[in-house]
Amino acid sequence: MKYPFWDLPAGYGILMAAVAIVHVFIAHFAIGGGLFLVVTERAARKAADAARLTFLERLGKFFVLTTLVSGALTGVGIWFCIGLLNPAAVAVLIHTFIWAWAIEWTLFFVEILAAILYFYGWNRMAPAGHMTLGWIYFLFAWLSLFFINGIITFMLTPGRWLSTGNFWDGFFNPTFWPSLVFRSCVAAMLGGLYAFLIAARSKPDDFKARMVRHTAWWGICGLAASLPALYWYWKWIPATIATAALQDMPTPMRALHTSYWFAGAIALLLLLFGLIIPRRLHLSVAVITLAMGLGWFGSFEWFRESVRKPYVIVGYMYGNGVEVANTEAYEKDGYLSQIAYRSGDDGGDLFRHACRSCHTIQGYQPLKPALDGTDPAFIAALIKSAPLLRGNMPPFLGKPSEADAIASYIKARLDPRSLSAIYGLQGVELGAKVYQIRCGKCHPIGGRGDKTVELAKLSEGSYQNLIENASDLGRGMPAVTCVESERRALIEYLKTLKAGGGK
Amino acid sequence: MTLPDSNVLPGPLWLFTALHVLTLSMHFAAMNFLLGGILIVIAGRFERRWENPTARRFIALFPAAMAITVTLGVAPLLFLQAVYPRQMYSAAIVSAWFWGLIIPVVILAYYFLYAASFAGNRDASGKARFLWPALLGLLYVSLVYSSVFSMAERPDVIQRLYAQNQTGWQWNPEVGDYLIRWLHMILGALTVGGFFVGVLGKDDPETFPIAKRMFGYGVAAAAAAGLAYVASLGELMASLMRTPAIWALAGGIFLSLGSLHLFFKRRFLVSGLALFASLILMVITRHQLRLVKLRGHFDPASWRIAPQWSPLLLFLVFLIIAMVIVGIMLRLFFRPSTTSQLGLARRDSGGGFHERNQAD
Repeated sequence: MKYPFWDLPAGYGILMAAVAIVHVFIAHFAIGGGLFLVVTERAARKAADAARLTFLERLGKFFVLTTLVSGALTGVGIWFCIGLLNPAAVAVLIHTFIWAWAIEWTLFFVEILAAILYFYGWNRMAPAGHMTLGWIYFLFAWLSLFFINGIITFMLTPGRWLSTGNFWDGFFNPTFWPSLVFRSCVAAMLGGLYAFLIAARSKPDDFKARMVRHTAWWGICGLAASLPALYWYWKWIPATIATAALQDMPTPMRALHTSYWFAGAIALLLLLFGLIIPRRLHLSVAVITLAMGLGWFGSFEWFRESVRKPYVIVGYMYGNGVEVANTEAYEKDGYLSQIAYRSGDDGGDLFRHACRSCHTIQGYQPLKPALDGTDPAFIAALIKSAPLLRGNMPPFLGKPSEADAIASYIKARLDPRSLSAIYGLQGVELGAKVYQIRCGKCHPIGGRGDKTVELAKLSEGSYQNLIENASDLGRGMPAVTCVESERRALIEYLKTLKAGGGK
Repeated sequence: MTLPDSNVLPGPLWLFTALHVLTLSMHFAAMNFLLGGILIVIAGRFERRWENPTARRFIALFPAAMAITVTLGVAPLLFLQAVYPRQMYSAAIVSAWFWGLIIPVVILAYYFLYAASFAGNRDASGKARFLWPALLGLLYVSLVYSSVFSMAERPDVIQRLYAQNQTGWQWNPEVGDYLIRWLHMILGALTVGGFFVGVLGKDDPETFPIAKRMFGYGVAAAAAAGLAYVASLGELMASLMRTPAIWALAGGIFLSLGSLHLFFKRRFLVSGLALFASLILMVITRHQLRLVKLRGHFDPASWRIAPQWSPLLLFLVFLIIAMVIVGIMLRLFFRPSTTSQLGLARRDSGGGFHERNQAD
């Protein structure tokens, strides 16, 4: 709250994902591709294979144009983006790991220079010197992964750092090694996939078959090794986070499960076109394989980013930049007193700092469809009990009056008509909609928190009483503040549960 | 459980300042080579511009210079963000779109430089076609940097602009804060570019006079713009002159003129060292001005210092290793190789990039 807030029309998650996924996809290729180049060059020189060296030079050009330009700059782009989207989190990471970033910079400098000299040295340097540059490049590229991996994994599993504050405790955190092994395997796989693409452009002859097979093996081996590493990584995620993900977080688990399909598709394409019919590998198939690689790795990154919700640094800072350590101060003084840059609209300022990191009114993760037709009292009640909603929302630590101000701000941007008018519903159907909007966020039919069985046991007369006293039934339960016609419709709907409806 | 306080500086303030000044000076040197080089290649009075060997060597070097400029730009930004996070991020957020656009613009400029470099002699007009957009891109980036970093020193401006609009489309309206300074930077780039053109083209009778002209006029114009900027500071000028900036400024001017004199005498190494030293002194002056402007808003000495000695030591070790490895790599690269040593490297494959450039 010490910083202004960038009110980006799109969601923060979308922008961050777009930049980050492209970057990691190229950055891991920069490591695996470097290894592929120098290992294959060594073999080609030993075998006096001029055709393979020509192929490697071609790959080298593609490699430099991809990694040095888009790879390096999207890396800077992530830094720029996160600085705009969550400056408080970047400030924590920089102050905690400044020397790791600085080491990373020295490695990056050597890596960039080695790549340039390796590329320009193809027809200028003696083979041994050229390969030495290749090995230096790979070593420093991998070391840069080593250091950045410590910072990335810290955000999900800060481990003992939370109690000691020690740099090394944060750096060598519980998921450091599994993540490093996993990412190294992915890098090898991507090195193969990119080379697969270049090999696909060759004339359909024996040489093409040989190169396609060679690159496919890299991809298959990298993929095969990365799967147990991924399992290892999952196992080292603290049980509290893993359990919460399995029970309450559809997004990360969906991302993880999607990644398996992509992995299967990669394996299939590499086996078929890489090993069985390599000569018939068409450029379009190689592009699809690479896209599957992007999908696979992108899904993993999506999982990693979303599984740590509601935090940006688990146990330390929430996704909206609210520091866990300042809980008492926020509860005592509220949010507004902590917001350094004000727009003159308190509700808007509070909304941006408390909610806007994840939600828009009608764009990414929109509130409008979920809250249209409701009232400020209901919205304020939801804000106050935010962490109970889905298990991945940060708590609202501000004053009750601030929750009311946010609710008014949101309400002013919603459809002012009643649910009946908005959706054109009446009777039981309207009741079902009222249930979905007012009750279903915590008690979805068939989902976690489903109360169908309990509700079905109640007598018809009890429903009125239940609705009247909803806010007394449990912590965080909002009062049913809808209009009378919606209440009646809700009762009609609840009656159908008794008869087995609604399921 | 008491959570760690990350609102601390993990090393001595003087070290962050020194690292920032040093790495920013290195970034400026590389950036000036690139920007000044492009300006001179495009606007220098070459008779047959695209056939001039020095211009061609420069064009071939631009992509590598871009990579080095970007890499060297990361470190000063990192050290600056460590000490001035609130000022830096706040200014960037208010101008978020312009700031964020830097990345795609630099990517495009980078690809244009590669395109110009790959165009070879077969497509002389293509080089101009590619260099112009790259130049415009770099000018955009430099202008955004000047605008945002100037705004970072004006919390009142950030506050005012943010209250008006939160969408990140606010351009710094205090043009007087940065326009002359930006011009000073561009003219400085021309100066340093002139120096490098002179070094690379010292034996070329057409190029060296161009380099001398660029260097000479560049120093004069940059000094004039610099002095105009200092004069435009108004009341702040008196405060600035009461800091070590006055010595840095005087030393910078003296060293620039000395560098020019030595350049004309063809003593390139000493001239280059003097030029780099003057660059460092200008960066120090800039740093002092930041402190003066932020006075009353923020004092970096107010940071609580909690040094992380072992990672800091490891960084210094890696810095030394990196320097040694860079030396080894350059030695390997420039080591003369006979054809027999090249083995399979020199194949009949159309030649590599370097070979093609030499052939050009």
